[in-house]
Amino acid sequence: MLTSPRGAPLVNVQMLIFFAVLLSYPLWASSAGLYQYLGVEIAIFVIYALGFNLLLGYTGLPSFGHGAFLGVGAYAYGLWQSAFPNVFAGLLIAIVCAGLSAGIVALFLSHRRGIYFALMTIAFGQIFWFLSIKLRWITGGEDGLLNILRPEIDFRFTSINLSSNVSLFYLVAILLIAVILILWRVVHSPFGTALQAIRMNETRARFAGHRVWLIKWSVFTLSGAIAGLAGGLLCITQESAYPDVMSLHASGFVVMMTLIGGGFVSFWGPVVGAIVFILARDVIGAWTETWLLWYGLLFMAVMIVEPEGVVGVWRRIEARLKGKTAGVAPVSAAKREAV
Amino acid sequence: MDFLNNLLPHLLNGLALGLLFALIALGFTLIVSVMEIINLAHGSLFALGAYVAMVIINPGFTDSGALGSYYMSLPLGLRYVIALVFAPIVIAIVGFGLEIILRRTYGKKKEYGLLLTFGAALVLEEIIRLIWGPAEQFLPTPDAISGAFIAHGMIYSTYRVYAMCFGIFAIIMVWLFLEKTPYGAIIKAGAHDSEMVRALGINLPRLQMLVFGFGAALAGIAGIILTPIWGLRPHVGIDATIPAFLIIVLGGIGSFKGAVTGGILVGLAVGLTGAYASDWSLLSMYLLLIAVLTFRSRGLFGKKTALEA
Repeated sequence: MLTSPRGAPLVNVQMLIFFAVLLSYPLWASSAGLYQYLGVEIAIFVIYALGFNLLLGYTGLPSFGHGAFLGVGAYAYGLWQSAFPNVFAGLLIAIVCAGLSAGIVALFLSHRRGIYFALMTIAFGQIFWFLSIKLRWITGGEDGLLNILRPEIDFRFTSINLSSNVSLFYLVAILLIAVILILWRVVHSPFGTALQAIRMNETRARFAGHRVWLIKWSVFTLSGAIAGLAGGLLCITQESAYPDVMSLHASGFVVMMTLIGGGFVSFWGPVVGAIVFILARDVIGAWTETWLLWYGLLFMAVMIVEPEGVVGVWRRIEARLKGKTAGVAPVSAAKREAV
Repeated sequence: MDFLNNLLPHLLNGLALGLLFALIALGFTLIVSVMEIINLAHGSLFALGAYVAMVIINPGFTDSGALGSYYMSLPLGLRYVIALVFAPIVIAIVGFGLEIILRRTYGKKKEYGLLLTFGAALVLEEIIRLIWGPAEQFLPTPDAISGAFIAHGMIYSTYRVYAMCFGIFAIIMVWLFLEKTPYGAIIKAGAHDSEMVRALGINLPRLQMLVFGFGAALAGIAGIILTPIWGLRPHVGIDATIPAFLIIVLGGIGSFKGAVTGGILVGLAVGLTGAYASDWSLLSMYLLLIAVLTFRSRGLFGKKTALEA
């Protein structure tokens, strides 16, 4: 179970620890051998993966075209920025555009299940990717939108220049905290329990009185909107928007991130997964050019040995330390039956 | 009549493409229906088939001894036929290996199997890149099936006619295998109800392994035939995976008729839009899919399956 049915506190200890680590990142990053830009990137992908896990981990809907909404967000931000330079308006536009696209796609998807759902998301993801390449007069074709400068945010009394990675990091980190607080509420609301009911057994959820298609539609739209926020932030960070993030591979990466961390078993799975993914890319990438080969092998090993990911391993260690090794097995067995 | 004449080469191209898409999709649908696994590595097996065939046709040893120089003195046509036989066998063996790895995910969430094949697709593609490099390669074809000929004032590519004939031949062979042999009957029974097949005393793990290998081999064959048209790059697999998905969904999962009809429809859509708006040719297949699925939620010939639960 991801949550207790009795609801959950607004903020818990894990969350506070995470926030503390997050906000202090610029202070200890360089002494840990990391760099500021990496923190920005990780925080963005954590937002993306958390939103994605609403769909995959909580509702059990595997979307292989989620990169489309990240891309829509990035393009929307980029286009808005070149007309009316304002960061917050741009991000809002990114969220709205990605949410709208996801909402339209979800109209086609909300009555689909299982394999048909997965395959339809692939088809829609490819359509967006294809359009981003072919609509040259809007998106700039394969090169994408370039030279979207990081602007200065003017708060009247003070101003922040986002061209510094540290100040950009704080913008992203604050948005990440907001996303975590919101999603934490969402998954512990009645809506969140309905999502899990759908994952467990869609037919039963319908018989229990949930309007399943509407719930699936809203969760897809919400998840797409969050991906749009991540896309807008990615566009600020990279000062460009390009079609690569919408390809099937890129969409697959977010699924990998979410699962390798343990998105099926924990709220924090995608957070761990995104960190592992980006760090692995840098660490293995520094060592060999074919980092994807090794990462792919690592991923396959995780799927074979411990498909519940890093959090699953952690839970197992925790249970063993507490001396009740049997505590883990019945839960996963019961879950297997339920699925 | 003139209009039809102009259209004919495009129709032929579309048909050739569609029949080979159907071949890829057939392997895919067999795996899906017997094992309930979406094999995202199918396209990588497709690409690997073409690369292996390239090596068999032209192994490229420099100092090879008597046997090697004898082999290289064989005519290209013969080496091509050897590649057409042995490359799919190699791919089938790779498929066996993949299936053995996949076994660990059986009985768990369906997504795990799907994601494992996604990882396998990444790994296979990177291995191809590692061995053969990222540059575009060239799969040699015998002179008899390359070049072009002119009929009724229009130029036709000989290779595409060959590809179409080969596609028809291969699909008929697969159909005969499934419908007219006892092995085919077991596979169909396994697709219908694998537990019942096991209860009847058939070695289910072996059946699954063979079906996976067979599906992989079909992808490999399609790769050998299709890559001389498309060009051979490490990521060519993705160009094959996507149409295969679309065709399966379009035709209905687990349906032979659906895979062939879907393949031909998609091929014709791509071929005909290619004739008038080549930039948009790939979009037509997505639109076709959405149009069909909006009205028929399980595709043209699909039935309700366990995969939806």
